Amino acid sequence: MNTQYDDMFDYYKHTSMFWNDMIAMMSSKPSSLMAVGPLRNFTENVKKISQELIEANQEIVDFNTQLVEYYQHLGETWVGAQKKVMSKISEVPQDAEAMEAYKRVWIDIFENDFTQMFDNKAFSENYNKLVSTELQLLKRWNTIMDVMLKSANMPTKEEIDEIYKELYMLKKRIKKINPQKKTRRGKDDSGI
Amino acid sequence: MTQEFDSVPTIIGDLLNFNRNLVELPTKITVPHEIKIGSCPYDVVYEEDRIRMLHYKPLTSKQIRTPLVISYAIINRFHIFDIDPKKSWIRHMLENGFDVYMIDWGSPISMDKFLGFDEYVNDYLDNCVEFACDQSNVDKVSLQGYCTGGTLASVYSALHPEKVKNLIATAPVIDGWKDTTVVSNIAKKFDVDKMVDAIGNMPPEFMYYCFSILKPFEQGIEKYLKFFQNMDNERYVDSFLKIEKWLAETPPIPGELFKQWIKGIYQENLLIQNKMFVGNQHVSLKNIKMPIFTQVAVGDHLVSPECSMPLHYAVGSDDKNLEIYPTGHVGMIASSFSQKNVLPKLTEWLKKRS
Repeated sequence: MNTQYDDMFDYYKHTSMFWNDMIAMMSSKPSSLMAVGPLRNFTENVKKISQELIEANQEIVDFNTQLVEYYQHLGETWVGAQKKVMSKISEVPQDAEAMEAYKRVWIDIFENDFTQMFDNKAFSENYNKLVSTELQLLKRWNTIMDVMLKSANMPTKEEIDEIYKELYMLKKRIKKINPQKKTRRGKDDSGI
Repeated sequence: MTQEFDSVPTIIGDLLNFNRNLVELPTKITVPHEIKIGSCPYDVVYEEDRIRMLHYKPLTSKQIRTPLVISYAIINRFHIFDIDPKKSWIRHMLENGFDVYMIDWGSPISMDKFLGFDEYVNDYLDNCVEFACDQSNVDKVSLQGYCTGGTLASVYSALHPEKVKNLIATAPVIDGWKDTTVVSNIAKKFDVDKMVDAIGNMPPEFMYYCFSILKPFEQGIEKYLKFFQNMDNERYVDSFLKIEKWLAETPPIPGELFKQWIKGIYQENLLIQNKMFVGNQHVSLKNIKMPIFTQVAVGDHLVSPECSMPLHYAVGSDDKNLEIYPTGHVGMIASSFSQKNVLPKLTEWLKKRS
């Protein structure tokens, strides 16, 4: 079943990529007629956007699966903790302090169960996969935004990062050439 | 049956009080974002990029010569050390004659994403220590590091031992593999490369998620229930809002520093194994030979005692002291408990060595 699922994805991806490339090639001539300007740039790079969206499909499915599992962890822990509260609550005496005692029991049990869940290896593995997939989708979004920015002749994230890197290296070089540190000598260090 | 009805007047009374307090509260208290945190006056004596060093004004006529430089954590802001006059770490140190400097790491911007341990330890921290030495006309300082600032202070002391007279490590993050907190459970498997690549600096929102899974019901529900119960207590509300404001102000962490942190401390655990390199310099904790005072809290749910305590055993110092307190991560530095139990021991120890 799993193999079939993967194959279906591969087939879909391959077919989409094929027609994506074909359409880009076939439309390259008419689009080049539009000379210069943002639209020309955009039509040349639009293939990249559809490529990213096709690639993102599998990640969106993975993200949803991991998100469902994340809420499943939370939901199961909640139900388990609530059951414990219900069994414990019968022992709480019904007096003026009952509300306070119930609150204490509820918080203690939920705190304990949820901390155990957050401390659990299965939870951390799923959570980290979820964040990782989300970041992968964010990277694709960044690439799509870069195409848009490029078409508007604006600096892309990659270009800005390069500038940051250059500034960082430049500052390091300046610090080496002209250190801010002062030299101190012959100072007494004898306390009060 | 009668017992069940006994509690009804109390519940109705509580509800009426609650409603009255809810209406009256905004008329008594400042708007949260306008609340000022901090009680001890200071001058900003050194600035470099986003960082600042604060110099607190003395409260005694005679001061201890060796200045105390506090390397605050890279998470949240330094205000917790002086959040309330009665629980102020800074005030206590000033009243005991110490000359106190505080490093505020500031709020990094996107272009700071390449800053790592090298810049934080060998540039910023070193420049602050040099500046404090110059101002006080001494060659060495007493260096205190809190939480992640404790890690920076430990690495600094290992690389520049000639500039540190005494080291105070308060809940330092040292042995990531031994950390038993839920934060370390996530950090050990975290895809930090992808985060830095996609986002740059570690966003505060991620830290807020980490905070929310620490004692989620005590901190996320009970704390607010208590607030509503104590709305008529002005002092309680004032203190509550200050802490809330402090908690809500955590800056981003430079991407490279965060990457080195997660990989070097939590995933590969390089520091405690003396395998860490900062700016091509080998960091050996054995180089820490100055007097060292390590403070850990049993109830620390952010940096577990098992994560901090190995520092005490790994250093090369003969003069070393380890104190374990029955409190939490913040309780150790900003509470009545810390004023009565943590600070007196520290000031006594530090005075003898300053």
